[in-house]
Amino acid sequence: MKVIEIKDLRKTYNESEVKVHAVNGVTLDFEEGEFAAIVGPSGSGKTTLLNMVGGLDDPTSGEVFVGGTKMNELKGEALTDFRLNNIGFVFQSYNLIPVLTAKENTEFVMRLQGKSARDCDARTEELLKSVGLGERMNARPAKLSGGQQQRVAVARALASKPKFILADEPTANLDSTSTETLLDIMEKLNKEENITFVFSTHDARVVKKARRVITIEDGKIISDIRKNGGEKINN
Amino acid sequence: MKRITQMAWRNIWRNRKRTIITSASIFFAIFFAIVMRSFQLGTYDHMIHQSIETYTGFLQLQSPDYFDEPGLDNSFEYSDELLNSINNHPEVKIAVPRVESFALASIGVKSKGIMVNGIDVEKEARLSDPERNLVRYRFDSKIMDEVYKILGLTEDEIDNLKIYENASFNSLNKISLNCGIDDQEILEKIGKITAFEGSYLKENDDGILVSDRLSKFMQLEIGDTLVLMGTGYHGSTAAGLFPVRGIVKIPSPELDNKLVYMSLTRAQEFYGMENMLTTLAINLHDNSEMLVVQKSLSSNLDNNKYVVKNWEEFNPILKQTIEGDSVGGVVFIVILYVIVFFGIFGTVLMMIAERKREFGVLNAIGMKKRLLMYVVIIEMVFIGALGAITGMIASSPLVYLGNKFPIQLSGETAKMYEEMGYEAVMPMASFDPYFWWQAVIVVLMVIGASFFPLKSIRKLKLMKALRA
Repeated sequence: MKVIEIKDLRKTYNESEVKVHAVNGVTLDFEEGEFAAIVGPSGSGKTTLLNMVGGLDDPTSGEVFVGGTKMNELKGEALTDFRLNNIGFVFQSYNLIPVLTAKENTEFVMRLQGKSARDCDARTEELLKSVGLGERMNARPAKLSGGQQQRVAVARALASKPKFILADEPTANLDSTSTETLLDIMEKLNKEENITFVFSTHDARVVKKARRVITIEDGKIISDIRKNGGEKINN
Repeated sequence: MKRITQMAWRNIWRNRKRTIITSASIFFAIFFAIVMRSFQLGTYDHMIHQSIETYTGFLQLQSPDYFDEPGLDNSFEYSDELLNSINNHPEVKIAVPRVESFALASIGVKSKGIMVNGIDVEKEARLSDPERNLVRYRFDSKIMDEVYKILGLTEDEIDNLKIYENASFNSLNKISLNCGIDDQEILEKIGKITAFEGSYLKENDDGILVSDRLSKFMQLEIGDTLVLMGTGYHGSTAAGLFPVRGIVKIPSPELDNKLVYMSLTRAQEFYGMENMLTTLAINLHDNSEMLVVQKSLSSNLDNNKYVVKNWEEFNPILKQTIEGDSVGGVVFIVILYVIVFFGIFGTVLMMIAERKREFGVLNAIGMKKRLLMYVVIIEMVFIGALGAITGMIASSPLVYLGNKFPIQLSGETAKMYEEMGYEAVMPMASFDPYFWWQAVIVVLMVIGASFFPLKSIRKLKLMKALRA
């Protein structure tokens, strides 16, 4: 089942009267349960693509469908609500709420969804245990290492039961041990709970784990490889 | 909701110093505004109490033409029926009949134009209570030399006493407060040396009470007889001899220079106006109901014969003095709050500017901008409430004590106050609406200061915020 459908997506910036095509006519689908990495050099357009897929940025043209809903047509609070209920985000610099504990950060999105405290408690504990932070639930971000913070960010992204998770350079600020741990956790969640993960990354270790690798350059997809004997698509 | 509130509370402590400084500025603004306003309003209450409640009354019943042309010819007929109809009003505390006019006073080679106040001796005791103002001690300069010699006073005490040479006092307590003498034994000795005999009027007394300054000008002693001459009712001649029964110290220097009290019946007889009054002074149980009572009394009376005036109408100078002074106080408070407003405004601006990225992330993960604004408002309310509540709590004991036990002034300041016609005290107003208004002002300031910064959250560009 297709979770994300991208049709001829473009993003053009007008910088000093010179048009820069950050994303230049990308067409792409993601199936449920994929563990995909978008790779490419700096400035290739992978983060811009991810931002448009996540509804954080508006495309210049083209369409993004998430679970059949045309996301470009959503504006304001409707779009915020859509992100809340359908998309999980993991940012490069963790971006946890500094005044909330790991547990409170994780359950925050569920509270925004209007779930009861009892439901939130149970799922939060389950998620934090699954990312190996069962013992650090009451620690605030400042008391956690970078790797631990990013694991809380993953737990937070999963808390709202989204259709997929977008992770923008999730390992960029982590050491190799933390990167390995984080990738193992995400891979496990992907395999056991069939959660779709889409990464933008430079990191070879992420690429190694990914089952699908999409290479983007100058805003265009130049290769799309599925490792389990998949095909190669040139856009 | 609980999580949002908790988050807002924790957020304000992320920058502890800034929160404390902002709350402290609100604290001091509230504290000084309350204390200053309390002193101001307390003083106004006291002025009204001295001039209105204990002299003219809050309302006065008069003949319709008396207000424009105050004179005996514009007096009205007084009857028990009329008095009862006023006294029967549930809000009326007391109604006191008076005949007020003028005469020429003379003794020996001295003469002076004076004001005559004919009073019901018993009833007046419950309104202006002239007996309370009877001079019981006089610091005659000749006697005072003796006081300085025999009592072994300290230099400070002598200096304080010298300020009051030739002054008159109603009680030993007043001497103690004004001259700063606490030793009871010394006070009693001063009392014995400076004692001044005099008595209050009796019902239908044919004597008079003379105001302190007038008595000094006319060089009157108790038992002297004053000649009064004037124009009576409908142009008749008024003349009579009046023995001085006592001297009264009137708080207002202007009145103290010219007032003579005599019994109502004697005044009516003197002016040839039996059963007539110039005014009926009325005091109320609840002064805030003045206008309502004025209207209700007016509606029950024959308006061709009587009108009811309130103190703001017959004493516009006092009203204007209070209003003028009050405006000055309000301007000061406004300046104080404007400064604090910009402090709060700066805090909100910084709070929002430094958390732009955080707001972007929160919006990205699904928190609506409305909720973000709500968090910031709660944070500002917390900061405002911290300052406002602590400011109100800190000023409360001061207001309570200042109201229950007004500051008694002494020395030069006390004399200056008394020369202006005020008792030498600085009372504070009780916990009236002005006290609670400070909290309302802070809430409005917080909302006002947050308005512009909150607009920037509403217009937040998600991508720009995430890159901040």
